[in-house]
Amino acid sequence: MLRRRFGTFTGGIDIPDDKEATLDAPIAPVGRLERLRVPLAPVPAEPARPVVRPGYRVADGQKLAEADSPEQVAVFAPLAGRVARFTEALVPAHPSGWRVSPAIELTDLGRPEGIRPLPTTYQWQAADDGSLRLRVAEGGLVTSGSPPTALAGWVEAARRAKVHTLIANVMENTPFVTADHRLLAEHGGEVMRGLVILARAIGVTEAMLAVDLRRTGAYQAAVGPAHLHGVDAIALAHKYPIGAEPILVKVLTRREIPLGRRAFSIGVATTDAATCWATYQWVACGVRPTARVVTVAGPRVGAPGNLLVPFGADAGEVLALAEVRGDEPAIHGPAMTGRMLPPEAVVTGQTNALLALEPPPAGVPTPCIRCGWCTDNCPARLNVAALNDDFELGRTERARRRGALACVGCGICSYVCPARLPLARRVGLLMQAIREEQTAAPARASQ
Amino acid sequence: MVQTRQTLSSQAAAHAPFLRAPEASRSIFVVMFAAACAPLGAGVVLFGWRALAVAGLSVGGCVLTETAYYRVTRTPALLGRSHAALTGLLLALTLPAFVPWYVPLTGAVFAIIVGKAIFGGMGHFLWQPALVGRLAVGVIFAPPLLPIDLLNPQQWPVLAVNRVILGDVRQTRSVRAVRDWQRTPAPPQADAFKTRRPREMLRELTGPGEARPASIVDTLRRMPPVRDLLLGAHGGDIGETCVLVILVAGLYLVYRNYVRGFLPGMFILAAVVTAAIAPVRAGQGQSWKWLPIASEGLDVGFSYVAYHLTCGEIMLAAWFLATEMTSRPVTAPAQAIFAAGCGATAVLLRLYTPLAIPAYAAVLGWNTFTPVLDVIRPRVLGQKRFWQRWREPRPAE
Repeated sequence: MLRRRFGTFTGGIDIPDDKEATLDAPIAPVGRLERLRVPLAPVPAEPARPVVRPGYRVADGQKLAEADSPEQVAVFAPLAGRVARFTEALVPAHPSGWRVSPAIELTDLGRPEGIRPLPTTYQWQAADDGSLRLRVAEGGLVTSGSPPTALAGWVEAARRAKVHTLIANVMENTPFVTADHRLLAEHGGEVMRGLVILARAIGVTEAMLAVDLRRTGAYQAAVGPAHLHGVDAIALAHKYPIGAEPILVKVLTRREIPLGRRAFSIGVATTDAATCWATYQWVACGVRPTARVVTVAGPRVGAPGNLLVPFGADAGEVLALAEVRGDEPAIHGPAMTGRMLPPEAVVTGQTNALLALEPPPAGVPTPCIRCGWCTDNCPARLNVAALNDDFELGRTERARRRGALACVGCGICSYVCPARLPLARRVGLLMQAIREEQTAAPARASQ
Repeated sequence: MVQTRQTLSSQAAAHAPFLRAPEASRSIFVVMFAAACAPLGAGVVLFGWRALAVAGLSVGGCVLTETAYYRVTRTPALLGRSHAALTGLLLALTLPAFVPWYVPLTGAVFAIIVGKAIFGGMGHFLWQPALVGRLAVGVIFAPPLLPIDLLNPQQWPVLAVNRVILGDVRQTRSVRAVRDWQRTPAPPQADAFKTRRPREMLRELTGPGEARPASIVDTLRRMPPVRDLLLGAHGGDIGETCVLVILVAGLYLVYRNYVRGFLPGMFILAAVVTAAIAPVRAGQGQSWKWLPIASEGLDVGFSYVAYHLTCGEIMLAAWFLATEMTSRPVTAPAQAIFAAGCGATAVLLRLYTPLAIPAYAAVLGWNTFTPVLDVIRPRVLGQKRFWQRWREPRPAE
């Protein structure tokens, strides 16, 4: 038998895991919520057209807004309630920051429930790939990656790119976050089937499930029969940032994503446990998931846990239910790559964690002393110290030649920087400037 | 100022990552200071209280100069003093213990003002500031400006074993050679022996003088035994003689990740290779002979190379001076080239030039190329390998 060889990556660090509080906490429904502000544009496209008016009573799962184009997705009510008004909500933008989305506010809400066992209503194993693809497209689901896209569009893009390998990334090797871990531990069979459905819809030859080597015991039930589904379950060591897409693709396929391109360009697609589970829920059971598992944790949280939170819930309300102490802002998403939570933000498909952390140690940035730790530990092998110089001097073109677009956004450079420089942010700004120049350059040439 | 600090820190806290490793620049300097105290301790044992006084003057001078500079220019003193203290200590390690009080103070002023402040302070200087200070005092207190060379006399003192720590290194008496330092008591009415530096004896093999040793073996016989060289019981600057302590302290820095192990490793390897190859002139024929490591048998050759490593400032330069973060390159391959260049140049300068500070001069010289070397870096993730890049046509500008 041929032994598989996986790639490696240089750099990377071992970050304290800090998952003890929620690692074994079962997924529980969130407490009673006052209101929901369901965003009408969960994907970066035109908002969906509302089909309800203020004052309507809506049932759980009832359609709130209709999609008019393939980029949009229809919006459904996460809980039963009454439409109070049209309003706005903040949702995560790509790659950082927040954007305003029109939203429908629901009040007089029903009690949120946990994950119910559902009967299978659609024989997806018997369906051929074409009808399976159609079924996926009918769901109006949203991927939970960044940026979020309509799942149907994502599947079509992957087919056009002739994707041959689909990777479900359940590494989750970032401190505090356990949402995908719990989903795989408790509903692993459904995640696995969801992955198979996506694999058949795209038409890949190879489907992989990447999990953390330390957690394989919890996944026995799910991962054990993986080969029966034709899925390779692969346990990898947890050096951070193996969960970053370009790194995981390199390790599993031994191919590197070319500079400034996406994984599709080398025939690889990555997804995560939440998307797989949502796909299964819709395709097999005919239920559109309108909630996701969110890890609420951190040193300032009194009642940490893995909560099933409906889309559109106020992040602040969820945190208050978890008894957060102190009034420093909380973090949306993983601590290494997430963003600061503004008061108007709501939970969306991307929200895998809400963390209330202690403020970082006194961080007055001092001049770079060229210790080189950012460069040593960079998984993309970037010379981050030189990129910092480029940022300070505004040398975008030189930064591009240095390969700044290879940054995987893991945040290690800022994490280790003894001068407390916001290096990850600066590289992010450089990448943004490079992309803007690249889009501007062809326009200039055509004039 | 307070307002600026708050804005800066709120900017830093507003973006990912929201976790920070505990290590800060100040702690790096403090740990390096502690590590550099080990060679200083050895120096105090071997050269007496005057070594401690020189170190105190040097560290105090650097800190005061730094403080005064920030007071005068009214710039925020971010991390200034901890780095100034480290610079002062490193400067003291490169000075002899018998120098008058004004030498370390002059060195400190030059190190801080010329070596650091005029480049813009912390993190911006090109040359290792401590070595800039050392070079300055080496030039100022030497013949063109002074009648005698204060820092490079013909004979160098080291305290006798029964006068360590408390002896006065200026109370000296010349002896021809100390065969066994640990068993030789102090000469009458003196605390220290005065001998020629082992480095100068090795230089006879390549020097221009007529008094040429008969062979490499002949030179090695007249030098102190290896144990004395490892303990550092021979004439030299405060921090550079005791190889054992330098090794332990340097390995601690490697363990703490402040120094990449292969930087001093490449330095020493290059020094070994250069010493093994570079031609020497020994014996009556007086022709240059390449490969001294093999010219009189490998046993003699290995001893010759080992003496080169242990008898002077190469170890201190490799572990403490070339590894200074700001003035060395950042990327791994550039560091390897830098260190190899330093090591080879150090041995070449020692063999073929009358410079008093060959290894320090080599480090200073290669510091100049740091910005150029930093261009060398490993291939970035997702970038094509260079032969793949070479084949494809360049995009039209």
